Amino acid sequence: MEYRHTRVMGGKLSAPEWFAHSLRGLCTGPDGRLYAAGDSQVLVFDPAGKLLRRWPTAKPACSIGINPAGRVFVGQPGQVEIFSASGTLEKTWRAGWLGEVTALGFHNGDTFAADSSSRTIRRYGRDLSHLNDIGRDNRTNGFLIPNGVLDFDIDPSGTIHAANPGKHRVERYTPEGQLLGHIGRFDGVDPEGFPGCCNPTNVALGPGGQVLVTEKAGARAKVLDAAGKLLAVLGDKIFDANSKNMAITADLRGRVYVAEPVRLQILVFEPVRAKAEAL
Amino acid sequence: MSKTLSRRRAIGRVARGAAVTGIGLTAGFLVKKAEGQVVWQIDAAKCVNSRLGEFGVKVCDLCVKECVVTQSAVRAVNEFSKCGRCCVCPSYFNVKSAVGRDGLPSEKLCPRDAIQRKPIGEADPNDPANNFYEYVIDEVKCDGCGKCVMACKEPAGLGSIVLRVRHDLCVNCNNCAISTACPKDALSLWPALKAVLGESAPA
Amino acid sequence: MIWRRAALALLAACLLTCLTGAACAQALQYERPVERAPQEKDIGGGYATPKVQKPLPRGAWLEILDVVLLAAAMGVSVWIVVRKRSRRWLVALATASLAYFGFYREGCVCPIGSIQNVTVALTDPTYHIPMVVTATFFLPLLVAVFYGRAFCGGVCALGAIQELVLLKPIQVPRRLDQALGLLKYAYLAAAIWFAILPAISRDFVICRYDPFVSLFRRSGFAHMLALGAGFLVLGMFVGRPYCRYLCPYGGLLSWFSRLATRGVTITPDKELDCGLCTEACPYGAIDQMRAVRRKCLYCARCYASCPREGPLARAKDIVPVEELR
Repeated sequence: MEYRHTRVMGGKLSAPEWFAHSLRGLCTGPDGRLYAAGDSQVLVFDPAGKLLRRWPTAKPACSIGINPAGRVFVGQPGQVEIFSASGTLEKTWRAGWLGEVTALGFHNGDTFAADSSSRTIRRYGRDLSHLNDIGRDNRTNGFLIPNGVLDFDIDPSGTIHAANPGKHRVERYTPEGQLLGHIGRFDGVDPEGFPGCCNPTNVALGPGGQVLVTEKAGARAKVLDAAGKLLAVLGDKIFDANSKNMAITADLRGRVYVAEPVRLQILVFEPVRAKAEAL
Repeated sequence: MSKTLSRRRAIGRVARGAAVTGIGLTAGFLVKKAEGQVVWQIDAAKCVNSRLGEFGVKVCDLCVKECVVTQSAVRAVNEFSKCGRCCVCPSYFNVKSAVGRDGLPSEKLCPRDAIQRKPIGEADPNDPANNFYEYVIDEVKCDGCGKCVMACKEPAGLGSIVLRVRHDLCVNCNNCAISTACPKDALSLWPALKAVLGESAPA
Repeated sequence: MIWRRAALALLAACLLTCLTGAACAQALQYERPVERAPQEKDIGGGYATPKVQKPLPRGAWLEILDVVLLAAAMGVSVWIVVRKRSRRWLVALATASLAYFGFYREGCVCPIGSIQNVTVALTDPTYHIPMVVTATFFLPLLVAVFYGRAFCGGVCALGAIQELVLLKPIQVPRRLDQALGLLKYAYLAAAIWFAILPAISRDFVICRYDPFVSLFRRSGFAHMLALGAGFLVLGMFVGRPYCRYLCPYGGLLSWFSRLATRGVTITPDKELDCGLCTEACPYGAIDQMRAVRRKCLYCARCYASCPREGPLARAKDIVPVEELR
């Protein structure tokens, strides 16, 4: 599997409406639109990269997610703001917990929010009532995230794939919080492993079940298969060396977007059809 | 003769008076903007090994080399409240070395083996990665070479290890030779209390 | 004077602008991302974050003690030379000063080096000189106005170490002595020049090239230890070479000493102007049977050699001239 770096969107001071300080959340809608959250605003782009819409948020935006009904959830410190597809604020959701919501996910009517302050993923029901926590009942009282960002993604069957950087793993949980297994290991030399102290920082799932991860300190993005085998490295030296917690997402066609937080760019990678294997 | 002598004496007296007045005025002027005890301390925001935004620079070990005394008073200090307590610490291990059988890097980074690693909290006997670890730097072995400081710097680590002057060891020269050599002017005179408490900006 | 200040101010302003620009550029380029270190409750198991060791420097009162001792030592030096008139006492004082100011305090901060601190304090508005250093600079000068170079006698550690190794002094010819004496003013000028440079390029050359500090510290670069040893070997035969020809503070002291009327006095004696003191003085500080204030380093060798009052007087019987006839 190969990926080609096709273009770069934005960059610090590239346009007046672009992000100026931070770029922390990315997600794609079912129509292929890209939603980017950073500073205190949300930008929406069409697949070609044209800016369609932007709207402000009350607090600095940390993460973004689109539920199956098309509502845009923006995670912020201590709250989640829920917007309609056109950007009008419908609800400011503050649950009993305090903390920074660094990732959002949806499955079967439930909403999942990653709370980096208590280092757990919390599950809420249809009426946003708290159901259970995921990743909390282990000896480390939660995920090991010295980087301050807890990221996860949910596959269509409802399994949560969460990055646990302190353990150099991507762990799989059921929605009820039961640990199913994990992929990945530490390795500073082999590109298949996760280097340094705490990698991978962010995780996303591709349309074919691939696991996309980003790393820091040797900033790169990688594509792994569901068993953890390395499929591709997206740009070993493309990202600024000081990048950390690069948000990643993939649309339904397999195109990968990576947010680079130092130069405030979104890098776009297209999958190149693999050559047919000789029998 | 007596007239000359008394005139000379008088001139002498006036000159001495003028000298004393001059000394008094200058001393008074200097004392006005004086300071209490000052000692040398490193500003971690300027030090090459800990300043942000520079990735891949060579470790600066001038703190070891430039001191006029055989062993300088600079040591690496781990500010525990900022430490990530990671299982694979990039300052303890050489994270670029080959992975051993236990899944951890096989080599340590410190050339003098001055960092000690021990599990803390509720230890998980089955899974060593499922633990917090504490890293303590032995200041008798540490010589301030800066390798662990650079390895802990963002983004690789959290920047909890910084270089500091230890004042029970420092001779407190009038003009620190390391300070003259430091390329980023990171070593300067601080009021004694600030230097010890380690607040970032000097007076 | 005003032009120099203006030029320095302009230089400082340019430097500040560049540094601010650089600092701002740094901030724009990289903002520290979010991180969160685990707290005690996250770690659990009764863990308590250990305190970071913060060793304290020497007490500030000890620095004040040094100044008090400096003043006291100079007082003792003056008393020895004016009242006691004994070389033995001066050697004792010199040894004590060498032990305390030299080997114990390792020769820092000394009045010689404080020239640089005072220079910086007078030219750089951001430099705040500690009071202790101001006192260290001015006290010996104040004493010199009245009593001459009492500091050089038994108090200065660098002088004391040279004083104690002087075995067989060679008299340096007057012309050569005068010519070499100009070197210390050149050194003073160089020290002031390097001290008034802006902070990034400032260098305290007196401290850097002090030959004896590495001996006091019992540690240092090989070339500094060799320099110190070399000066000591030279000092065995030439009286106090650093003090007479290189010490910048000695230059200042000799100016201020011209005003002094008291200090070492040669016993006036019409009958016995034997001139033994002139031969005994290794520093050429006796001229026409009178001590030259600006050169006299308070070593009291003249007292020791005097047949009228020194040990000679007590050891041998001086026969009155009448009895000889």
